[in-house]
Amino acid sequence: MKRSTGRLATGKLSITRLADSEEVDRMLSSEDEILPSSGFAVAVMDAVRREAAAPPPIPFPWKRALPGMIVAGLVLVLALAAFIAVIVYLPMTSTIPQVSTPPSSLGQLGLHGGIESATKWTVLALLLAFVSVKLSMSLASGRP
Amino acid sequence: MSASEDQSAVERVLAGDISAFEGIVRRWQAPLINLAYRFCHDRGRAEEMAQEAFLRAFRALNQWRKDAVFSTWLFALATNLYRSELRRIPARTMSLDEVAEPADTRASDGGLEDRDRNSAVRRAVLNLPSKYREVLILFYFHDMDVTAAARSLSLPEGTVKARLFRGRELLRSKLPQILAVPRLKEA
Repeated sequence: MKRSTGRLATGKLSITRLADSEEVDRMLSSEDEILPSSGFAVAVMDAVRREAAAPPPIPFPWKRALPGMIVAGLVLVLALAAFIAVIVYLPMTSTIPQVSTPPSSLGQLGLHGGIESATKWTVLALLLAFVSVKLSMSLASGRP
Repeated sequence: MSASEDQSAVERVLAGDISAFEGIVRRWQAPLINLAYRFCHDRGRAEEMAQEAFLRAFRALNQWRKDAVFSTWLFALATNLYRSELRRIPARTMSLDEVAEPADTRASDGGLEDRDRNSAVRRAVLNLPSKYREVLILFYFHDMDVTAAARSLSLPEGTVKARLFRGRELLRSKLPQILAVPRLKEA
């Protein structure tokens, strides 16, 4: 290994600082060397042989997991779309009738429509969840 | 230690002759343990870290691209491991105040003992922020070779020089008393 190529060219170092630098260099270069213990190489080779003998790690089953992941992604997108639709739909049902319909029938209409659409979405979500669970279980058990 | 010996050993290991790795271990055990020792100043831990470095090298042997010398690749791998190990479990050190003013720093004739001063400086290095500490350790381990230190740390040489300068400045500011006292041998 070559020596002294890394002396820093600090330019305007004072004599004291330069002396300090050399002192630090001297102290840190004179680090005591330690010798490996006698059984070190043997211990390393034992570990290496164990490592080589160990079975390779089981790869992630992408082929089986991919359909499930795609279905899960689709469900997520649908759920998001449903959520956005509900957010957009609710203000419309609550603001438009305020102008033309009497307040007594408005509450009933909004409530009725809200419950109806919520039921539809809940049924759809449950259905999708059921299908994705069944599909992933059948894929995991190896019976596609 | 020749690069061709390393290369042929690696080729044999990759061909399935695991015992060829022993040559690599025997050739590089002392440098790897000593490098680890500079990071942690604990002999037992240094050997554990070096063993882990050899195991990782064995696992990643097919990733050595041969565009660099085997030892450069091995030192870079070991340095990465030691750095992350030290971040996970830091080396046992004392505070910089304790380092700057050790309890028994002066010999009877008023000078600092060489051994005490050296040890105080090394402890001070271990107390530096990691980016300066690592550069200082690698620089002195590679016999003050900035290029080798930069390769081991996978950093540009300019960055290593800047950190080295700043690290030494920090050391100087933390150890004014130790650096100011003339060494006994020079007196």
